[in-house]
Amino acid sequence: MRATRTDRSNDHTNDTDNNQQREFDKMFMMVKKHLLAASVSVTALLPIGAMAQEAVFVLGTNEVGIPSYNLLTAVNTNSVYPMIYDNLVAQDDDLSFHPYLAESWEEAPDGMSWVFHLKSGVTFHNGKPFTSADVAKFIEMFRSTESSYMVDAIASVETPDDLTVKFNMKNPDPNILYNLASSFMGIPDPDAVTALGDDYGITEAVGTGPFKLESFTLGQETVVVRNDDYAWGSSLSANQGPAKLARITFREIPEDSTAFLELKSGGVDALLALPTDYLAEIATDATLAVAKIPGQEVYYMPINVTKEPFTDIRVRQAAALAINQPEILANVFSNYGAVANNFLISALPESKIDPALTISYDAAKSNALLDEAGWTMGADGIREKDGQKLSVSLWTQNDSIFRRLTEVVQAELKAVGFDAQIQTFDSSTIRDQYKTGEHQLAVRSYFWNNADIVDWFFGADRLGYPNVSMFNDPKAEELRTKAMTGSKTSEERVANFTAYHEYVTSQFPYAPIYQPEQNMAFNKDRLDMPTEINGTSITGVVMVDVGVKE
Amino acid sequence: MSLARSLSSVVRALRSPKGGISGAWLVLVVLGAIFAGVLTPFDYDVQDLPGAFVAPSATHWLGTDEFGRDLLTRILYGARTSLSVSSIAIGLSVFTGMVLGAAAGYLGGAFDRAVTIFVDLTWSFPEILVALILVAIIGPGITGTMAAIGVAYLAQFTRLTRAQIMAIRSETYIEAARSVGASGSFILFRHLLPNALAPVLVAAMLATGDAIILEATLGFFGLGAQPPTPSWGAMMSSGSALLFKAPWIIIFPGLAVAVTVIAVNLFGDALIHALDIKTRLREV
Repeated sequence: MRATRTDRSNDHTNDTDNNQQREFDKMFMMVKKHLLAASVSVTALLPIGAMAQEAVFVLGTNEVGIPSYNLLTAVNTNSVYPMIYDNLVAQDDDLSFHPYLAESWEEAPDGMSWVFHLKSGVTFHNGKPFTSADVAKFIEMFRSTESSYMVDAIASVETPDDLTVKFNMKNPDPNILYNLASSFMGIPDPDAVTALGDDYGITEAVGTGPFKLESFTLGQETVVVRNDDYAWGSSLSANQGPAKLARITFREIPEDSTAFLELKSGGVDALLALPTDYLAEIATDATLAVAKIPGQEVYYMPINVTKEPFTDIRVRQAAALAINQPEILANVFSNYGAVANNFLISALPESKIDPALTISYDAAKSNALLDEAGWTMGADGIREKDGQKLSVSLWTQNDSIFRRLTEVVQAELKAVGFDAQIQTFDSSTIRDQYKTGEHQLAVRSYFWNNADIVDWFFGADRLGYPNVSMFNDPKAEELRTKAMTGSKTSEERVANFTAYHEYVTSQFPYAPIYQPEQNMAFNKDRLDMPTEINGTSITGVVMVDVGVKE
Repeated sequence: MSLARSLSSVVRALRSPKGGISGAWLVLVVLGAIFAGVLTPFDYDVQDLPGAFVAPSATHWLGTDEFGRDLLTRILYGARTSLSVSSIAIGLSVFTGMVLGAAAGYLGGAFDRAVTIFVDLTWSFPEILVALILVAIIGPGITGTMAAIGVAYLAQFTRLTRAQIMAIRSETYIEAARSVGASGSFILFRHLLPNALAPVLVAAMLATGDAIILEATLGFFGLGAQPPTPSWGAMMSSGSALLFKAPWIIIFPGLAVAVTVIAVNLFGDALIHALDIKTRLREV
């Protein structure tokens, strides 16, 4: 699954380059079209399949700027990762797990060990057979990554034979299948990673996936070509053999409007993430269609609990209750998607917290809390206390949708007496800015479909970034440890995470805003999309079934 | 060149058709910016989300934006941001540039070399790059934008003034002044600077046009005036994402920038003609 767990990132500094590149690409596309037209007459003479099975996809603006395809150094991943790498298991949109590189698996009754049986005949892109030793090496290498918590519960890995892997656990981890299915744990050839060092993931990337990395230009595009040896597709794909497409170009276009124009003009075949503003426009265009993908994103407003006046929980709660989720859903997102009332997407069981603790718009209560905290309304509509104005900073990044949403949030905060000063940062630098801890409020979003995102964004050992709220609470830490490592079964894990999520929410280190739906837009004259999209996003599992209409 | 004389050349510039039309537009924009509060019944910062994306109509002459705010009101207040930022920035730039350039040109020596090196260093980068770097250091907002634009154009005025001073300082009337015992500062302020003013004035006019574009560019990147303060560039930036849904959000601020910048340039042209050396000689 695609898991850009962190945030929307976007780099406008490359605009000039991109424009030139775009001009070039347009010319190239025109030439290509002519060539295609010329080839039509020839195709009658050629066997089927000799035609160019190529497509151009555009990554979402939130996926722009991945530095490499090295999973072991990645903090963010993008949709190309799962084209190159396969996982041991695959997850479907109903959150169930299915065989992938592992044919089957067994969990010990006490949860203290897992045995995975690997498919035979699987090879890496460099021809090397994929064996249990690769899994063992990969798990060891994974321990030094930013996401090492995913394998924390694994004490040791045994390889009784080439096709069997056994995990001995420190503690039961009901989330282990989820972690193994995550795009962070797509399995590379560990020997290639070691051999190539810093070049790995940039000049070359070696996985077992349906596509091989052909070229990668930072911030511009990634080209992948079909892995013709592929014969181990997941059962979630209709096609278990080699992909239908021979070559895919994934372009990075940092501005939604530019990407959309490219789609309309035929310069590209599909946009992996279509902003809701364009849905109406798509409906009027006979050549374009939309495929719905389960939503994984949540927009929220982190509140820095270490900065005055937000050290006072009443002021935090007041700010959170000032956010008018239904108004935002209706007017900024044209009623596509859903409101968010807690930190997690609604599909997760851990999102079902005590209704009394969910955060919903309540201006009257917000005003009452600010009065109680001693902030009295001034003549100019801004509250004051001891001669001090209720003036706070509100950070955002310079993508158009963030700027727009943040301006609405600013007006909603003003309605209860906050003077929120917007500060816009380039999305490539904002993460470093958070690490300074100078911010008070911000508007952000994340992509993730597991409750452990609460740990990622509120864990006390990640202050500044990813813990933008600078939340450090002993009780939360206790509940966090219990949720992360103290759950024996899935049910227990759900209960523990629900309790942790509930407690964090009760301290108001954030205000939930909105859960988008995810839409992929494509040219239906060009692309042959599967009727049903399996999996949790557009991954290799989906892409092997995508073809081109000729 | 005295103040009276510079005013008279402005008046002369206005008399030409090119200067007249462009001048009229500029006066209109300046008046609109000053009296924005009286000219429109709407607020530039009060949102009315259900009333967003209204096409141009009798109530909202230029339509409403994505927050339901009247676009004409935003453009008028945006003129305030655009004009004040660009003219204050260029004003600062002209003042500092003239002081530095005059001092360098008049004093010469090590000071001249130091100034030249510094100025050539910034001159070698495009203005937009210098401005972006400075905004990154100072932080986004109106102050940051002003400072960034001011420094970005500093090199131009320093070099121009310095070259002018270097050219004039060996003229015979300067020697004459020096020979009757005039002090250095007297010569600088009474003779050198006034005579270097005319080309700087024209350059300043033309740079103001560029500065409006630079301000709009920084605004477009979200680095200029921060919301809800309107700026033409920021309005165009948000409009670009809504091109299909509400094209007027990008078209009208875009027109405002384009027409104003053209007007500034045409007026600068007219001013060049009005300040023509030959004409001036005839007057004398």
